[in-house]
Amino acid sequence: MENIPWSITEAEISLARRCVEIALEEGASDVRVSLSKSLMDLVLVRDGSPDKVSRAGDRSLTFNIFADGRYGTFSVNRLDGELMRSFLHDAVETVRMLAPDEFRRLPDPSRTAKNARTGLELGLYDPSYASLSPSERLETACGASIFATAKPEGCRLISEEIEYSNSIYDNLVIDSRGLEARHIESSFEIGCETTIADARGNKYSGYWWDASPMRGDLSTSDVCAKALQRAMAQINPLPHPGGACTMVVENEAAARLLSPVLGALSAFSVQQGNSFLRDSLGKKVFADGFTLCDRPHDKGCSGSKLFDSEGVATSEAPIIEGGTVRQYFINTYMSGKLGMPPTREDAMRPTVLPFRPDGAKEGSFGTDEILALCGEGILVTGFNGGNHNAATGDFSYGVEGFAFKGGQIVHPIRGMVITGNMLTLWNNLIAAGDNPRRGAGKQVPTLAFSQVEFSA
Amino acid sequence: MILPQDTYLRLFGVDRELLDRLVAAALSEGGDYADLFFEDTSYRDLLLRDGVVASGGSHIDFGVGIRTLKGEKTGYAYTESTDAASMMDAARAAATIARDAPETGPYPTFPFPGKPNPAADRYPVEKDWRTTPAKEFLPLLERLEAIIRSRDSRVSKVIAMLSAQQSNILMYNSLGELKYDTRPCGTIAVSVVFSDGKSQQNTHVSRSFRCGAEMLSESLLQELADDAVRNLDDRFAARRPKGGQMPVVMGAGASGILLHEAMGHAFEADFNRKEQSIFSDKMGRRVCAENITIVDDGTLRGNRGAINVDDEGVPGQRTVMVDHGILTSYLHDRISARHYGVRPTGNGRRESFRYNPIPRMRATYMESGTDDPQAIIASVRSGIYVDEFANGQVKIGEGDFTFYVKSGYLIENGKLTAPIGDINIIGNGPEALSDIVAVGNDGKVDPGAWTCGKEQSVPVSCGIPTVLVSKLTVGGE
Repeated sequence: MENIPWSITEAEISLARRCVEIALEEGASDVRVSLSKSLMDLVLVRDGSPDKVSRAGDRSLTFNIFADGRYGTFSVNRLDGELMRSFLHDAVETVRMLAPDEFRRLPDPSRTAKNARTGLELGLYDPSYASLSPSERLETACGASIFATAKPEGCRLISEEIEYSNSIYDNLVIDSRGLEARHIESSFEIGCETTIADARGNKYSGYWWDASPMRGDLSTSDVCAKALQRAMAQINPLPHPGGACTMVVENEAAARLLSPVLGALSAFSVQQGNSFLRDSLGKKVFADGFTLCDRPHDKGCSGSKLFDSEGVATSEAPIIEGGTVRQYFINTYMSGKLGMPPTREDAMRPTVLPFRPDGAKEGSFGTDEILALCGEGILVTGFNGGNHNAATGDFSYGVEGFAFKGGQIVHPIRGMVITGNMLTLWNNLIAAGDNPRRGAGKQVPTLAFSQVEFSA
Repeated sequence: MILPQDTYLRLFGVDRELLDRLVAAALSEGGDYADLFFEDTSYRDLLLRDGVVASGGSHIDFGVGIRTLKGEKTGYAYTESTDAASMMDAARAAATIARDAPETGPYPTFPFPGKPNPAADRYPVEKDWRTTPAKEFLPLLERLEAIIRSRDSRVSKVIAMLSAQQSNILMYNSLGELKYDTRPCGTIAVSVVFSDGKSQQNTHVSRSFRCGAEMLSESLLQELADDAVRNLDDRFAARRPKGGQMPVVMGAGASGILLHEAMGHAFEADFNRKEQSIFSDKMGRRVCAENITIVDDGTLRGNRGAINVDDEGVPGQRTVMVDHGILTSYLHDRISARHYGVRPTGNGRRESFRYNPIPRMRATYMESGTDDPQAIIASVRSGIYVDEFANGQVKIGEGDFTFYVKSGYLIENGKLTAPIGDINIIGNGPEALSDIVAVGNDGKVDPGAWTCGKEQSVPVSCGIPTVLVSKLTVGGE
């Protein structure tokens, strides 16, 4: 790993292994150690010129300590071998003060990842990372700017902020039962936020971004133009009467609606009775077309990982299949608490599969096609605040976007709220596109739902 | 808590000579200002779940952040080690901004920020979190659960958490200012799931203060339990109202999130100097009625948003943003203060040494007015009253905001009637400000564990008296 900047060194791996030994010597019955290092270089360009450069190098050791049937979590960012003995001594003593919990244990070694030896197995590290110079980084960020050249009609360009970053993340998880799993990934990201004012001085902002583990795949040339376009599209919003209508949610925003579902599938939420999907395992509670899979082994794709935070091997598996709940996210601890077989701690790369109500098999199925299919309704391009009740699934979100008719956008809308229930909403799923954003960890395409209640 | 200067210098293994060398390195490429932010934070937590405190831990975060400014351009780097070589590397990395940024000087000098007053320590500690054994806290969490369960038979699950943080901070800058502070923060929070056999309800209540372990008392536990079960019958009965535009009465206290999200962020000077805020051209102008005064205050003793000095070494202070309806001040860090030629207001804050400081709120509240809260409610023919919020969000440029309302009531013919919940209210900051038509005489700052997430997380608090906003959009059926 010598040519990977800021990667975990052999000395640091030795320290992590030594920490396992020390914790056991201090009285722990088992211990898991997670050693993480990350490096991020960031350039912020405002109105075409550099505004901020920063370098962030982090490293930390996190310990999950099991002692006398008890459990605690500890972390330190001072990787000083001399400090570790006293730190771990105090940690074990703290654990011994806590109440026993019979379900706290390391995962069975048969379930842990055996195929994450180098950290490079998923092809998430770009070898060109090491050769990226500060001046190239600056040129990339400044080169993306259109502040000096853009001549937007009918509005004034107030500010343009570009944030370009490249980062490395290296994580090693070992435990006292022989686990040793490593994950290395690089990431290149660019985002642009543009603020404009219309002729009356009303301000609007637009944001666009791209991200990839591979530098060559990052699209930087159009990010500012898209941010400007998204800001300008909001000029002159018109009132909308609201009521129940079809809602299309753009791929850029749709993950917001999936997150409550993923949260409700967490065994922790289920065990605490704080999940609107409790008692749903194996039951069909959503629309036929809703299929959600975990795809953690997609090579070169953001979010992919061979093991979860316990070191348990991930797998490609359905989570919701044709509207039926196939999986809760059950870690070792929750498995004991619930008396259910363990699965994984979480979904790594949850992916909503395409669903076409017209049954067509060919041709792309993106936002335009879904608007055409739905005819009339509201296209949501962003959420502005809101929340959901985890126990009931009731939700309310502020939304922004556009009214559409005949499959075509007719005018922007503003200051609207959607309300409903997650179970009802996903039961009313009428289409799912094939266009998730490439750089997103949650692969959620443009979605369409019928009978969504809008207030204005 | 403010300890002797030597304590901080020893802790971070530095002296004035080394500090000066680091500043010189940070300025080596032509920067016009540099500062160092040393931090040693220890954090402890205990979690009660399923009736026992079976989870807990401790965490240590240590490092130094080094910032170089050239005009309004920022170079920033940090290191988790305070050995001289690592800090020099970070200083040189921060220095590069001066090389990369275009020459736009000369720059005005930094206005003098004022001297901190060590005698005015806003968070003295009687019982140090770091040295109090964790076993003292275990019975408190168990007691809290017992009190909550004794209050209502519908309690299904209780999760209670105690966390305590203490940070030692040392700051030095190229103006030769050496500042230091020790900041405690204790938080006790409880989430409760209730079940009546047919449906479930959940709630989350918390208390958070800058003080030592002396904050933990039987009366505090009773207060949390009171809040957890308050209006529980109404929560189960709550329905969504019919949506649309209507008058909204904001209950005193936690409704201060309205100020924080809808107005406070737009008063932060970084958004204004970039002309992104909807208030960027309104300084000195009337933005709301004469009976409204809005303050951001770092001087409230023991408050979660209190600071002796901010994270740029500027003394904590009370800043009046809106004085009787007139916009009088933005919230400044050193960069924006220099931009506007005013004294910094002590709002330069950061999450940790990993972040450069930016203008952030502290305790933001509206001062009490003169109206009777009951009379305010009685003045509404048809609208809603809201008293518990989960969160909020604002679009700075547009001023559009949204709040999620956990609970409230319909107002029908001047009386609170059917309970409501799980709705959003949505509006526009400047419009909502100008639509406030009554301000109650019951202003209070909410004691909950509010955290602001503008780029970085910092502890804040918020408050408001009962106010009537003549029209806001309410999401409903």
